[in-house]
This record gives sequence, C-alpha cells and structure tokens, in this order.
Amino acid sequence: MAATPTPASQSGLARQFSRRSVLRGGLGALAASAVGVPLLSACGGSSSSGNAKELSFWNFYGPSDDQGPQSKWFVDTVAEWNKNNDVKVKLRYIPGKDYLNGTTLQTAFQSGQGPDIFLISPGDFLRYYNGGVLQDLGSALSDEAKKDYLPGLLEARSVDGKVYGLPMEIEPLAMYYSEAAFESAGLSEGDLPKTWDQTLAIAQKLTNSKRYGVMFETAPGYYQNFTWYPFMWQGNGNAIKDGKSAFDSPAAVQALKFWGDTIKTKVAPRKALGDGGGDVVSNLGSGAAAMQQSGIWAVSDLRTKAKNFKYGIIPLPTPDGGQAATDLGGWAFVANSKGANPEAAAKFIAWALGSTDAAGVERQRQWNTVVKTNLPPRKSVQEAADAKGAFADGALKKYVTEIAPTGKPEPRFPPEVYQPIADAIQACQLNGSDPAKAAADAAQKIDTFLKTYQGAPIS
Amino acid sequence: MTRKRREALAAYAFLAPDTIGLLLFVAIPMVLAFGVAFFKVDGFGNYQYVGLANYKLMAGDDQLWASLKVTATYVVAFVPIAFVVSFALAMLVRNHFKGIGWVRSAFFLPNVVSLVVVGLIWQFLLVDKQGALSKLLAPLGLGDVSFLGTPSLALGTYVVISVWFLMGYQMLVFLAGLKDVPKELEDAAEIDGAGPWQRFRYVIWPLLRPTSFFVVVNSTIGAVTGLQAFDLVFVLTKGGPARATSTVVLYIYEQAFTFNNMGYAAALTTVVVAILVVCTGLMFGFTRGGRFDED
Repeated sequence: MAATPTPASQSGLARQFSRRSVLRGGLGALAASAVGVPLLSACGGSSSSGNAKELSFWNFYGPSDDQGPQSKWFVDTVAEWNKNNDVKVKLRYIPGKDYLNGTTLQTAFQSGQGPDIFLISPGDFLRYYNGGVLQDLGSALSDEAKKDYLPGLLEARSVDGKVYGLPMEIEPLAMYYSEAAFESAGLSEGDLPKTWDQTLAIAQKLTNSKRYGVMFETAPGYYQNFTWYPFMWQGNGNAIKDGKSAFDSPAAVQALKFWGDTIKTKVAPRKALGDGGGDVVSNLGSGAAAMQQSGIWAVSDLRTKAKNFKYGIIPLPTPDGGQAATDLGGWAFVANSKGANPEAAAKFIAWALGSTDAAGVERQRQWNTVVKTNLPPRKSVQEAADAKGAFADGALKKYVTEIAPTGKPEPRFPPEVYQPIADAIQACQLNGSDPAKAAADAAQKIDTFLKTYQGAPIS
Repeated sequence: MTRKRREALAAYAFLAPDTIGLLLFVAIPMVLAFGVAFFKVDGFGNYQYVGLANYKLMAGDDQLWASLKVTATYVVAFVPIAFVVSFALAMLVRNHFKGIGWVRSAFFLPNVVSLVVVGLIWQFLLVDKQGALSKLLAPLGLGDVSFLGTPSLALGTYVVISVWFLMGYQMLVFLAGLKDVPKELEDAAEIDGAGPWQRFRYVIWPLLRPTSFFVVVNSTIGAVTGLQAFDLVFVLTKGGPARATSTVVLYIYEQAFTFNNMGYAAALTTVVVAILVVCTGLMFGFTRGGRFDED
C-alpha cells in the first residue's frame, strides 16, 4: 500500500476500537464470515443485490467530516458525473484507518455486498483480481487515454493486456531532512548522504539524547514493505524473477542488513512516532528524527501542518556501486465485476480519471497538484501542471527531475509473497537476525507458494 | 404476582439484553464458524468443501505455533500478576478510610477508558527517547530503551499495560467477594487469638475461593481472546516487532482479512475455543469450580 491521503487516515493505529470491533476483529470476525453463508445463498451467488441505476463508490476521502479539499474533489467529481448521466454514483466514505487495516471491504465482498467502485492499492491488486471481482475497464477507455499514461503504470494494473484499474496518482519516496537538525549538529548541505555508509555516519553525528539521526518505517505491514523495496532494487535485486523467487540474493541481503545496521548502531528508532514512517509531521517535524524516509504526500502535509518547518529532500541513498531507485506508489479506481452495473462503473472511472478533454485534464491536475501533492500519472496532466508551475521549485521539482525517473511501480505481491518478506524485514531490522538466513527462509516460503500459485502474473 | 415471581421476572429482564447479545454475536456465529471451518473460503463469496484440510494445515504452520507460544507466555505472565496486584489492591481499599472513593475510582479508571485511548496514552509514555518513561530512566543510562520496539521487551510491556488496564475491574470483583466474608467469622477468629495473617490465611482466603476461581478463569479467557490480546496489539505494534506480540487472535485476524483464508481462520477459531474449553475444564477439575469443600 502506498501513501494515504492525510496523516490522520494514515494511522492504522487510530482504528476505532470498541467491543463490537473485537467481535468483528477477533473470534467474531470469523463468525462474520460465517454469517456470509446464508446471506450469500439468499442472494444467489455472484449476482449482486445492488441497484443498476445507482452505483456505490467506497473511498477514504469524501464526503468526510472535515470537508477538506480532497473530500471536496471527490464530492464535486461525482456531482459533475451525476449531472450528466442516468446512472448515478453515490459516495460512501470509510475512514482511512478502517479502509486500510479494517474489515469493511473484506466482509462486504465475502457476503456478496461489495461496492460497485472502490479504491485499491498495488498490494491488494492480485488478491482482488484473483478473487474475480475486478472489471475490465478496456472498453470504456479510449486509446488516446491509454497512451496518455506514463509507461508501466497501466501495465501494473493489467492482466493479459486488459486494464483493471486506473491510477489516480504517483507517489515516489525520498529522504527528508531537517535543516535545523543539520545546523545544530554543525553539518551543512555538503554532508547530505549519497551512500548507505554515509547515511550511517551522518546519522551518527545527528543522533543525540533527544533525536535519532535517521528513520525508517518500523511497524510491520504493506507500507513497510513498500518503503523497503527501493533498497533491494538499488542492488538490482527483486523478490520474484521469471516466476521463481529471487529473494535469496546479495541485493536483498545487503538491504536487509542496512536497515538492521541503523538499529544496531542506534541511529534510528525502533518505533516511530505518530502514524509511523508516512507521518513526517510527527517525526521529522517534531525534531524526533533528523532524516526520515517518506513519500511525496509529505510535502502537502508539511505545507499545511508545519508551515515554518525548514526541510529538504534527497534521493534515497544507495549502496556503494548501486543504482538509484525509488518506489512509485499510488491508488487506483477499480470497478466490481460482480456489481450491479459493471459497465457503467467502468465508464465512470474512465471519465473521472481518464478523460483527455480540457475538463478531464483539469480535474486530474486539481487532484495531483492542487488538493494533494503527487506526480500526475498522465502526460497531458503533467504538462498542464508544469504550465502552472506546480513543479517549478523546491521538493516537488526534485521529485520530478531527480527522483521519480529512478522509480518502479509498487510491486503487486499477493499476501503470500508479501508476508515472508515482511517477516524478513522485521526480523533483520528489529530482532538482529542474520540477513542471509532471513532472505533464504523467505525465498523458500515464496517458492513453496509459487509452485502452486495459479493466479495472474505477479510483478 | 408473588414477590418471588416478580423478582425472577426482573432478573430475566436484566439478563435479557446480554443474553440476546451473546446469542446473536457470539454463540450463533461460533456455531457457524465450526461449519465454515470445513470450507475453503476465498473472501469473495466462494465456498469449496475441503473436509478436514484446514485442520491438517495447522501442523506445518510455524506461524500458528509461534503465535500460540506468544499467547501462552502472555497468559502465564499476565494472569498471576493481575491476580496478585488486583487482590492486593482490593485488600488495600477494603476498609473504609477518608478518600476511599477517590482511591477506588483511580484504580478503576483505566478500565472505563477506550482501548484506543489506552494505546495512545501508553504510546505517548513509551515513545523512544522522548517518552516520559525514557526521560525518567535516562539518569540510569536507560534512556535508549525501546519498550515496544524491542522483541524481548514488547510482550512484557503488554503484560504491564494489561494489568494496569484490568486491575481496577478485578479489584472490584475481589471487593465484592470480600464483602461476602462474614465479619463475625473474622471477629471470632480474632477473639480466638488469630493475628492478621492467620485471619487472612484461615478465614478470608478460603472463603474467597469462588471469587478467585472466577477471576482466574475470566482473566485467562480475556488474555487469550480479549481486548488486550487484539485491540491493544493492533493499536500499538500490529504484532511486531518481529512478531514478538503476534497473539493467536491477531494471527486469526491476519488469516481472515490479510490472506483471505476465512475458512482456515474459522478452523483456527474452533481450535482456540477448544483450548479454552479444555483449560477451563482443567481449572474446574482442580478447584471443583471454586466451590467450598462442604458444598
């Protein structure tokens, strides 16, 4: 999973808990799945009970309580569509913490009550595709729209050349640093690290009794994996190659070791503040860390929540002789193939994100560079944003010119691949495990899974 | 209507909401889970009968055994500590003194706070380097200790937080038990020359058996399936660092909602229920349900 919209919804840990959620989450959760049996037979298998004239659109942006610009973008976009179409779209807001780590979507799909349109992260793509609930958007998409997307972005959401999701944004990762922390440690911009060794050395100088020199995500989950992959790619490694596990590689081992070294040498925290690695305001901004790996969304977070905080960004440091790399996250709109009216849902998605007319480009520009900071996934939108000077200076300019060109789309690993990797990262980072052994163990688990895997290609 | 009849009706009325809730949200789903355990469920509404395959999977599932071990460790540490602490508290606030209401409330307060808030409070206290506890320990050279970020410390930290969270409730249960100990018996023992320790050992302690039994069984079940075994872990560490706090209930949740293995998760649930039934049965056996010898 890539970035999330606002720090508040990035939480995952602020998930609302109640006794009821324990029922849902714990033993009762399974029971909830059990309850799906009668529901399912009642509505006759895959056929949906929805309304063909009204499509539900579940998302974690709007209409939210804060009525912020991101919520407004969703509300306005849907209102615009509803004005001109017979099949109406109805937004249902699910708080980010429930959407990302909760059970709302899963229980709905299990009981055949899934939404017609929803948002999906690369990490969830295969689970839903293999579950047979993603609708081919192809017929709704014009060739012109397809060509407008940057290379690789649609491929990451396609199977056999058919497009199943339209990305709404690109979110690269970089290293943020606090100017104040560098100054107080007597360091200058010339000291900014380019390699892993330099990172450890500089972090040592930045670490004191109140502050850590550098910070990576520490909580286990899709987000941590997402932030770790670039370090593996820098050594030209990958988790899977040619249908087999390639995780048992020097590239993965050295990346696992690097994260472990930051903890061993005590220059990085074992637990992040606030909402974790994606939360720059709580960590870097509060002075708890001097450098922090995070994503492009942090630019708008800092802009709104830490106006006077002075910071800069650099590309993620690489190992000696390694190549620059970053991970390109980003959520996509998808349609439920078992929904009430999948064709209409596909049309809505193609219109909302893929329209190539002036209004469509403007709508995307608003989302990508006005209400949120990301990189536009479409060339025409990039041009429109450039014309308005969106990437003319500062961190965003650096993202466009230096960082994003080194990026790869976030891998779409199913849970069975993600989990062994997550365990290896956690063990090496926080439990002092031997990286070579951890990588070998994970590779073996991935291989075992791949032997019987029958779903769409993993990439 | 006789008075007895009226009282009985009132009792049923008071019990009804909980009973209906238990039936609807616990008992019926639990029975259904036993059924689902025989299916492969993909999370998209498809069911495929697989017989006992889900149960056979468990033998080779290292993660399951690791999570059971985490849970067992937690139970073995939490239950006795919570017992001793809450019992000591109950004895402490048993007798009336000035400001007792305040003291009792202070101990009970954590129990009425939502788990999210509990998580946030402790996260705040335990923040690496900048947390209140780190600052307190800094003069001892322990300012760098990360209580929730170190695998060997995380589970112990959960034990402390859970004890803090539940001690007020258990204290109340003990207080209720202590109220049932007839004052005359204590007085009689005192007249016979029994000191405070002897009065405790031979009068209070034996009469508290049913209460003690209830507390032990209740906190064991709570430690395996309760709020602190899932919500707190989910809020604070999501099972980390390095799976050190991955309890069995959290593992079941992952199987159901991360891996979409809902059938397997259901099978795991039945096993956890079975383990709890056996444990409770053993406790019943050893203590005769906490009943008094003469019953």
